[in-house]
Amino acid sequence: MELNFTKAFVTLGPSLWDGIGIVVYITLIGFALALVVALLLAVGRISKNKVLNRILSFFIELIRGTPLLVQFFYIYYVIPMLLNSVVSLVGIDANIQFKPATCGIIGFAINYGCYMSEVIRAAIMAIDHGQREAGLALGFSERQVLLRFIIPPAIRNSVPVFGNYLVMMIKDTSLLSMISVQELLLRTKTFASQTFMTVEAYTILALFYLVISIPLSQLSKIVERKLKQVG
Amino acid sequence: MAMLEIENLSKFFGDLEVLRDVNISVSKGEVVVIIGPSGSGKSTLLRCINLLEHPTGGEILYQDENITKLGKKVTNYRKRVGMVFQRFNLFPLKTVLENVMYAPMKLNKLPKKEAKDQAMQLLHKVGLENKAEAYPAALSGGQQQRVAIARALAMQPEMLLFDEPTSALDPELVGDVLEVMKQLASEGMTMVVVTHEMGFAKEVADRVIFMDGGYIVEADTPATIFTTPKNERTRAFLARVL
Repeated sequence: MELNFTKAFVTLGPSLWDGIGIVVYITLIGFALALVVALLLAVGRISKNKVLNRILSFFIELIRGTPLLVQFFYIYYVIPMLLNSVVSLVGIDANIQFKPATCGIIGFAINYGCYMSEVIRAAIMAIDHGQREAGLALGFSERQVLLRFIIPPAIRNSVPVFGNYLVMMIKDTSLLSMISVQELLLRTKTFASQTFMTVEAYTILALFYLVISIPLSQLSKIVERKLKQVG
Repeated sequence: MAMLEIENLSKFFGDLEVLRDVNISVSKGEVVVIIGPSGSGKSTLLRCINLLEHPTGGEILYQDENITKLGKKVTNYRKRVGMVFQRFNLFPLKTVLENVMYAPMKLNKLPKKEAKDQAMQLLHKVGLENKAEAYPAALSGGQQQRVAIARALAMQPEMLLFDEPTSALDPELVGDVLEVMKQLASEGMTMVVVTHEMGFAKEVADRVIFMDGGYIVEADTPATIFTTPKNERTRAFLARVL
């Protein structure tokens, strides 16, 4: 077997470089939305409203109990069909479709939001009860106490775990090749099938992922250390 | 006129009765010290006074207003009644200065400069102005508790509640905290103090209340309680702790 990494890199490299733009775009927006979803779910889950609590906990179990890839398929294929048939009931022929990248962002926001909500919830529960009482005793309302004295340190304590989730999300963007997002895996697959440089192509792909994920996880370790120094 | 009037207060945790038929009246400027064995309901009583625990029955009148019926307006009442906790409960991510400045700025809209000046004065008062920029974790327990007192004072409360303020401290650190409390008492602050510090009770209290089993066994001047207690249980308790 003859391997020619240089030749493969000259063609595949620029294509992957373009793909990184899409990966970063989906990851950044997906992660930001996942944080919002996580926070809302976590606050909902610690509320005293039992009905809300049950509904949210069922939803989280539903999402965590099904594969992310299946969820992407569901958002990409099933939800537009359901929406179209609902809309057609009122006599409109809308032909709703989502862009693949949009499906990726929605899927990540919901799936990672559910996982990260449990991290935030645990972090909230771990905040010393005395913080709440000190806030209340000064005259802050329950809501102010939650927003000012409970959630900020809880999120701060969650940051190291969030770093891991961010790296996981970047790697999980490869799943989006299945719904035709032009990310790294799909580009590599196309290249490999056209050139038969299978070994070179997938090795270069793996290196590309490492080049993104290793610095990121190092960065999250540095942030973790910095946070420990203050608190 | 009584500032705080507690009438027939009772508190259950589930089936467990922790306070029974408690009646206390506290006048302005008075220092009331509550003593008693662990589990006697002292802390629960104090927590009921600022509604961290909601009483099961009875009334708590603060300046003639029944505070158990305040609902969401309880925050206005709590701004006027400060509380100091056994475990200090400082905000760990804020500096000492920020801990003291924060509530008046956010709740009373005090301008930052005034809040800072006031906070520095209060830190001076508790002897910690040189720790203003430190984080709570860098302070000893006694120092943290004095910051907690300054934090409570920053809201300019009319009354202060102390829940075993020295029980979590190493013995050599207790004195500094008690000094600050004595000073407050001498300045006329109305105080309700749950403590095991019998020396403080003897020296500073206008009235000592002995609780056991969820109700008030005996309430009198420190001179009477500590020298000629009327009740056998008070005598037995004091014999153990003195």
